[in-house]
Amino acid sequence: MAGAYDFVPAIAALPLLAFVVSLFFGQYLPRRGAEAGIVATAGSLVLSMWTALTVAGVTGSATTYNENLYTWVAGLADSAVTLRLGVLVDPLTALMLLIVSLISLLVHVFSLGYMNDEGETGLPRYYAGLGLFTASMLGFVFANNLLMAFMFFELVGLCSYLLIGFWFRDAGPPSAAKKAFLVTRFGDYFFLIGVVGVFATFGTGLFAPIEGAETLHSFPELAEEAIASGASEAGVQTFFGLGPEAWFTVLGLLVLGGVVGKSAQFPLHTWLPDAMEGPTPVSALIHAATMVAAGVYLVARMYGFYLLSPTALAIIALVGGFTALFAATMGVVKQELKQVLAYSTISQYGYMMLALGAGGYTAAVFHLTTHAVFKALLFLGAGSVIIAMHHEENMWTMGGLRERMPVTYYTFLSGSLALAGIVPFAGFWSKDEVLYEALIHGLGSEGSIGTLLLAGYAMGLLAVFFTAFYTFRMVFLTFHGKPRTDTARDPEPVRWNVKLPLAVLGIGAATVGFINMVPVKKVTGAEIDYLHKWLAHGGIELTTSEHYGELLHDVAHIEQAELGPLAPGAVSLLLALAGVGAAWTLYNVPEPEEHTDRLGGVKTLLMHNYYQDEYQVWLAQGVTVQLARAADKFDQGVVDGVVNGISSVSLFVGSRFRRIQSGVVVNYATLMTLSLVLLLLAFVVAGGVL
Amino acid sequence: MVIDIAGASVPDWVALAPTVALGLGAMLLFVVDMVEPEPGTSSNATLAGISTLGALVAFLVAGSFLVIGVGQPDGTGAVSLFNDQLVVDGMSLFFVVIVGSVTALVSLASYDYLAGQRYQAEYYALVLLAATGMSLMASANGLATAFVCLELSSLPSYALVAFLKDNKGSVEAGLKYFLVGALSSAVLVYGISLVYAASGHLQFDAIAESLGAEPEFVGVLGIGVVMVLLGFAFKTASVPFHFWAPEAYEGAPAPVSAFISSASKAAGFVLAFRVFLTAFPEIGGLAGGDPAVDWIVAVQVLAVVTMTVGNFAAATQEKVKRMLAYSSVGHAGYALIGLAALNAPQQDFVLGASMMHLLVYGFMNTGAFLFVALTEHWDVGRTFQDFNGLSEQAPLACAAMTVFLFSLAGLPIGGGFVSKLYLLGATVQAGTWLLGAALVVNSALSLYYYSRVVRAMWFEEPDASLEVDSYPTSLYAAVVIAAVATVVLLPAFGLLSPSAIDAASVLF
Repeated sequence: MAGAYDFVPAIAALPLLAFVVSLFFGQYLPRRGAEAGIVATAGSLVLSMWTALTVAGVTGSATTYNENLYTWVAGLADSAVTLRLGVLVDPLTALMLLIVSLISLLVHVFSLGYMNDEGETGLPRYYAGLGLFTASMLGFVFANNLLMAFMFFELVGLCSYLLIGFWFRDAGPPSAAKKAFLVTRFGDYFFLIGVVGVFATFGTGLFAPIEGAETLHSFPELAEEAIASGASEAGVQTFFGLGPEAWFTVLGLLVLGGVVGKSAQFPLHTWLPDAMEGPTPVSALIHAATMVAAGVYLVARMYGFYLLSPTALAIIALVGGFTALFAATMGVVKQELKQVLAYSTISQYGYMMLALGAGGYTAAVFHLTTHAVFKALLFLGAGSVIIAMHHEENMWTMGGLRERMPVTYYTFLSGSLALAGIVPFAGFWSKDEVLYEALIHGLGSEGSIGTLLLAGYAMGLLAVFFTAFYTFRMVFLTFHGKPRTDTARDPEPVRWNVKLPLAVLGIGAATVGFINMVPVKKVTGAEIDYLHKWLAHGGIELTTSEHYGELLHDVAHIEQAELGPLAPGAVSLLLALAGVGAAWTLYNVPEPEEHTDRLGGVKTLLMHNYYQDEYQVWLAQGVTVQLARAADKFDQGVVDGVVNGISSVSLFVGSRFRRIQSGVVVNYATLMTLSLVLLLLAFVVAGGVL
Repeated sequence: MVIDIAGASVPDWVALAPTVALGLGAMLLFVVDMVEPEPGTSSNATLAGISTLGALVAFLVAGSFLVIGVGQPDGTGAVSLFNDQLVVDGMSLFFVVIVGSVTALVSLASYDYLAGQRYQAEYYALVLLAATGMSLMASANGLATAFVCLELSSLPSYALVAFLKDNKGSVEAGLKYFLVGALSSAVLVYGISLVYAASGHLQFDAIAESLGAEPEFVGVLGIGVVMVLLGFAFKTASVPFHFWAPEAYEGAPAPVSAFISSASKAAGFVLAFRVFLTAFPEIGGLAGGDPAVDWIVAVQVLAVVTMTVGNFAAATQEKVKRMLAYSSVGHAGYALIGLAALNAPQQDFVLGASMMHLLVYGFMNTGAFLFVALTEHWDVGRTFQDFNGLSEQAPLACAAMTVFLFSLAGLPIGGGFVSKLYLLGATVQAGTWLLGAALVVNSALSLYYYSRVVRAMWFEEPDASLEVDSYPTSLYAAVVIAAVATVVLLPAFGLLSPSAIDAASVLF
């Protein structure tokens, strides 16, 4: 009998089908293709639920699934690399499938209000893009090897390009789309080298071993073996004379290049704020469940590999912690609603990276989950406000929207409390666990790694204050006080298709944190850390969080300090409340003013995003363009010169050959006879026949 | 002697049915021409029809013989006729297929081309007689027979080239062709006499048997072999006996150019293959051991020089037809790889590759010349510039021409791509990197001059005076059929190449 796992490919195939339907038949449908997308993502959601239930052991006995489905390049020799497409389902996959299909479904529904009701044109293209985007991300989530993951990773990048540049007739969106594409492509370049490196090193890109008549090993497994018993023992080929540890660090960092680009980590985060040029539902999808999440998910997917390299972990933690603080400070001065959210996204993914780097696998996945819910909520809420404000996004033109759009306000508030990390909303639990893991591992580990983790923790902790501050600055400026413009006094009403997704996510933002209340468990002893248990179970022992815990201890030598969760939790909560309080005093007044001038020179620095764009543009224009010029010179001069030379020599020779044909038969006869004699001489006399 | 064809016992000469069909067609044309009440009153359609039909029958019968196994190891085995002077096997049938298809296309196209010309019956009869000679060349199994067949195909060709009696170019070309041909025949027949002197035999197998691996009169034999090789170089338009080709192809009526450059060349090749592989294999070292007369090296030199001269000269031409003539010389060089790379481990693959190239070439080259015939019919001029913007007036024909040219260049739009790939594979197998490099370099160069035609047809602005007023049905039909065949041969290549390789393997 066909079980849930047989239908896993359909989870991605359905939105793909919707893509085709919307693209080619969207214009004949009453909703211009939204129907196809909604039906398909709803189908994906149902299948994802079924899959999750099966993983949980409710609707089937096999709690994991890992099979190759299609071989597209078969290696001929025994040791040759074979490229396959396959499906890996374990608790992590099941959870992510649920998140992606749920968010995507809600975004589709919301789009009815944001795009259809606003009378946008080109909707079949829009819904086709959403469908392909969803399909790519879902395919990426259940990919069972690195190359397949890379392929879908790139598709995700392509789709974000198409959707960010949806309004291609304006000046901003195409430029933002190009920037997003190019910046992430820069990271993906390293990822691609990493993929090739992994295949060259291990001969396989499998994330998890496939049991069967002949067990196919996975690359994290082989790497683990290589570190335990030497590279040659494990049949692993390292390069450049590096030992396994060093080489695996190099590979891990190469793949991390793609992650840093996609998950908008410092220094490749610059594309993300610009990406706000896209339609708001697309931003929600990009930030909550697809594009940006792909990077962090990839690290979680091959976490068993990263755990083998403490150096890579430390770098991940440091990049994450720094990004969290760095982006949060920039969010403080932004004037546009979506810009604030954009920097909050960068910052929140920084937290996830910090957790992964600090060995907090479950914490990272937890924060990924809660963030998906509350960030989708915030973006959709912002979308609702933008509809109401007739596509005006500057918060200083808003104010007082609380009374006029209560559903949006209360759901947005729920999301904001979650983002700020106020108990008991979702973000509190996950962010608290991230910081707690970073702290105990930082304190428990010896040497530089402990110091680095503590540095990451410190930056993450500081970012809590800023996060709470900018979040509530945004809430107060948008919804509180007196309306500052006529539009804000009389906003356009929104319909059910906007309110329904908001309501669903608003409830989620308040409650989804309850799946993993570790501090409560520690205090009361109640077994309510469901996510911990979820990620620790499963048939593939090598991808469970328990195994990751062992690796963390045995290989990376990151230890836990004995420390209760209450004190650190209280500290971060206090910081968050301080941030909210600061925002309250400054901005929760009937007629708030800009206080940014008080920052002095810092304001300029923050408004210019620490001149990140400027220096990257300088790098591109000052360095890359010069290099390209030199290459062009070489191409024009040397390569073309050789080509042109060959062509003129050929034509010259040709014209000589032409002259042989004089038109006089006597000449022909002479030439024929001469060549006959020549041949006879050459092959008969010189050939030694005579 | 009786053989068994498809379950029926028939006399063994039935295996020659394709050749007989061509010969009978020629005779029938004579009869029709004789009984016409007044000179020039026979229906042109009747004449062209008989000619096309005769060629088609030859093509179809030869093809079906290949399918049902006549002359092949799994069927009747090679059928020897007339005291071993003729042989019907896979190789001969394969080339009759080429000759038959080219002849049919040319006859079909000639209906429109010859409209208003006198002596049409003679034209078609000469075409069929030449085709008869060519198909006999494919079966010839002795040097004397070979020479007679070769002359049977050459003599009508001379007359055909000079068919436009009032056209100075045509007459001049015919005379030059004839003079060069006479010299070549002299060289060939002298070579034959020397081989006979060294071996005492004219029948191929007997020559091989009598020579053995270490012949007695190596010097005489060596001179003879080289002269025979050059005699065939005339027929295949290979350097250095290619001088007639540019002149004859350019001066002749375009369908005749198509006929000679495709069918006649193929016939020359099959004869060369058979002579060198059945009469001179051991002295060439094909059976292992040191070669007594290293004709493989001679062929290698000829192949490289032929490719290079043909392509380089084609690159600087101003007239399309003359460019095609030189490209035809270049292609002879490619086809020579079949003999030049025989020191490869899989000899049948090498030879099969060459045979397949000639098959594909039969369609694409014939088509290209027939397109030129079409332009001559329209009177648009002969240079590249004259073709400017032709696609606006005749998009279908120009599309077909584009297919021919790109396939000739070896782009994967027609079978020419795969056949060149096979030839390259053959050179790789043989390890003759110089041949392979020459093939690649010359193909790249050929793309340049073929694209010039394509660019002129599709991208240049037409001359204001360019006016295409008629769309001759039969010429168009022939061009389109050739184009379809060229394209179909791309996917169908894999289906046909085994039969070519099987046919080739019998000779080793």
